Amino acid sequence: MSDTLSYLLMAWSDPQLLMLTALGTFAGIYIGAIPGLSVTMAVSILVSFTFSWDVNDALALIVGIFIGGVYGGSRSAILLNIPGAPSSVATAFDGYPLAQQGEAGRAIGLSTVMSVVGGIVGTIMLASAAPLIGELALRFAPRDYFLVAAIGLLLVGSLAEGSLAKGIFAAGLGAVIGLVGMDPVTAQGRFTLGQVELMGGIHYVVLMIGLFGVAEAFYQLHNLDSPVIRQKVDKILPSFAMVLKFLPLSIRTSIIGVIVGVLPGVGGDIAALMAYDHAKRTVKNPSRPFGKGAYEGLVAPETANSAAVGGAYVPMLTLGMPGDAVTAVIIGALVVHGLNPGPMLMVENPHIFYFTVGNLLLANVFLMIFGLMGIKLFAKFVEMPKAVLIPLILVLCVVGTYSINSSMTEVYWMLGFGVLGYLLKIFGFQMGPIILGAILGPLMDTSYRQAMSSAGDNPMELLQGLVTSPLSLILSAAVVLILLGNTPLLKKLKSKLSPASARG
Amino acid sequence: MFKSLLTGAALGLSALTMALPAHAEYPERSIQAVIPWGAGGATDNVMRSLTPYVEKELGGKFILNNRPGGTAVIGSTHVMQQRPNGYTVLLGAENPQLYKVLKLADFDYADFYPVNIIGQNVVVIAANADAPFNNMAELMAAAKANPDTLRMGSTGAGGLPSTVSAMINAVDELKVREVTFGGDGPGITALMGKHIDFMPLSLAAARELVRSGKLKALAVFATEETPELPGVEPITKSLPAIAEYLPWGPFWGAFVHKDTPDDVKQKLVDAYAKAVANPEFQGFLKNFGAQSLNLNGAEAEEFLKRWQSVTTWSMYKAKAIEISPDSVGIAKP
Repeated sequence: MSDTLSYLLMAWSDPQLLMLTALGTFAGIYIGAIPGLSVTMAVSILVSFTFSWDVNDALALIVGIFIGGVYGGSRSAILLNIPGAPSSVATAFDGYPLAQQGEAGRAIGLSTVMSVVGGIVGTIMLASAAPLIGELALRFAPRDYFLVAAIGLLLVGSLAEGSLAKGIFAAGLGAVIGLVGMDPVTAQGRFTLGQVELMGGIHYVVLMIGLFGVAEAFYQLHNLDSPVIRQKVDKILPSFAMVLKFLPLSIRTSIIGVIVGVLPGVGGDIAALMAYDHAKRTVKNPSRPFGKGAYEGLVAPETANSAAVGGAYVPMLTLGMPGDAVTAVIIGALVVHGLNPGPMLMVENPHIFYFTVGNLLLANVFLMIFGLMGIKLFAKFVEMPKAVLIPLILVLCVVGTYSINSSMTEVYWMLGFGVLGYLLKIFGFQMGPIILGAILGPLMDTSYRQAMSSAGDNPMELLQGLVTSPLSLILSAAVVLILLGNTPLLKKLKSKLSPASARG
Repeated sequence: MFKSLLTGAALGLSALTMALPAHAEYPERSIQAVIPWGAGGATDNVMRSLTPYVEKELGGKFILNNRPGGTAVIGSTHVMQQRPNGYTVLLGAENPQLYKVLKLADFDYADFYPVNIIGQNVVVIAANADAPFNNMAELMAAAKANPDTLRMGSTGAGGLPSTVSAMINAVDELKVREVTFGGDGPGITALMGKHIDFMPLSLAAARELVRSGKLKALAVFATEETPELPGVEPITKSLPAIAEYLPWGPFWGAFVHKDTPDDVKQKLVDAYAKAVANPEFQGFLKNFGAQSLNLNGAEAEEFLKRWQSVTTWSMYKAKAIEISPDSVGIAKP
């Protein structure tokens, strides 16, 4: 027991580890905040860089960057309407309107505190229930992934501000873009236009940088003459009462974040979108309407994406399976240092598990500290003249895209999507559903084919599986309910029931 | 006039220095190493572990870059398109040898120069710990009793599981449902969750799970037991006919463009040979469950040819591919 405690506190007591975690978190926040620079890229570079270091030192730095980066994306999402990281796509929905009303400081403060809450919940769930949650993740059959992806896509209904038809079109467009590349089963090219470069598909981060970064920058050109909004930076730290008020929501969304983060292949980005949708459905009286600066719309995605970090560590530490792209690289780091991630890791090297838990907690503490620092500076940054800001953003987007795979082709695609996104924006299309379609479309496609081939290409067997497995049953019911919920059918039912209950 | 003569001489000399071959003292600048697979995968892990040792021997810096996509087509094509000056190296796995027969691309490793064939991995046929079969014979019997019912995890055309299953089908019958995953990672997760029944895996991927009892190893794809998995029978016990295809396994290697200057090639070959032989790296390979090969020159080319020939012909025999290997210039083993 004392062993466990000593490992938990290792990161807190050793000055070098303390410093490395702090450094990592600080760097991570800024890497995440800059659109185009990604945590995955930073961590991959670090794996080689820290090869000769002690494994604990390397892990401490990487953990810091991971936690900092997931949060950091919210900064640019709030201030510029450009998510710095895929996990912050949903943060911009209410974060940017808040900034437009001059409350950027408060928004950043709230998102910092909420990220820490989510991170701590995620870490606690990791520490207490890791093997259990790991087992839960294993229960997900291909058909369950298909259902989860379907549920995710149905979120379009709530994410589409304004015309639902435009939202559905955007999601469909995203799904088609996601199809580009090699067919996972037959290795035939799909929509590759005969180009070898496209055989690898269009990375959704490229799509995101183009649609959110470049398109937004072009869109801002319409408002060059609008007065710069002075940001209120005196009230940054949310009052304790405010945190308590949002606590039930933040706990719920953190749990959503952990569960979604645990599923291999699905990470913080989907968790944030699902949490946002959950908030929209469950919060009856938001402080402001969703999409116009509701605090709840900021709380939900930020807690979820930070909690998903803890969730992603669960399959990595208990099974050696990555929960998302960053943990995949961390597994590589462990292997390179001679450790074998897998079920035996907890048995042979339990200190890695407890050390990671302690380290995650420490990183969250540093997140609180560094997150609340420099807000004034950042908020003022947005008051920079647009003539300087917009070109700067464009340069960062280009550099960031190139840094993913050193591919100029991807830069051109990104710029192309930027132009397309700008045109779509002018006509009132939302960018959010496009990304949703691009991430979930391929997931649905792959899972469906896996489920079908598992069932021997027999639809009856597949349907049987949907109703016999309890997990699949719950998920299928959810899909049906959400679908019906968006139709007039449910409203008719409700209106029929309520006069009856009013009379009775 | 003297002035113009002097400027002319200065310009001429500088032009001359620029024209001097870049390998005056190779490596003069950092070398781009392209890994055509994603970060965190087996190939990526092996290469990231090896590169620091190569850097020490060569005296230069490598910049590792992941360029995944298209079963390594994208990364390999990229290296082929770069200048053959030894500043771009391909750190890949066995997949390019199958490009011609799978029509994924029109080149293979014969169009590269093999600097080093680093090592090869042993393949294990793994099943869930609670599966009703305990060895290869029982699996084959179960498959024959219920053809097209058992589910095998696969990683797509050209991946390890489909190649292994093709070789098994070339000597016997194994009719199963192939469920395709994006890599052995998701496949292993599905195997543990009992969503598939078995999957051929590289030892590196499966070892920890077999050791901890989460997965069962039905057989090793070799002629004799492997010391890493004591008690697991070699596949030749139930399928003696498969011995003609063995030894076989997915391999890793470092390659450069064929037209790279000979002295650059030699420097790379020497550096890699020493790095792979380094006892620390050997220890890493062993820990990883892989077998060290450390081949270069004629031996490497021989290895590549044999691997390609054995694999493609067995796939053709098992009707896993439609194109006859000799139509693309691959001789019979």
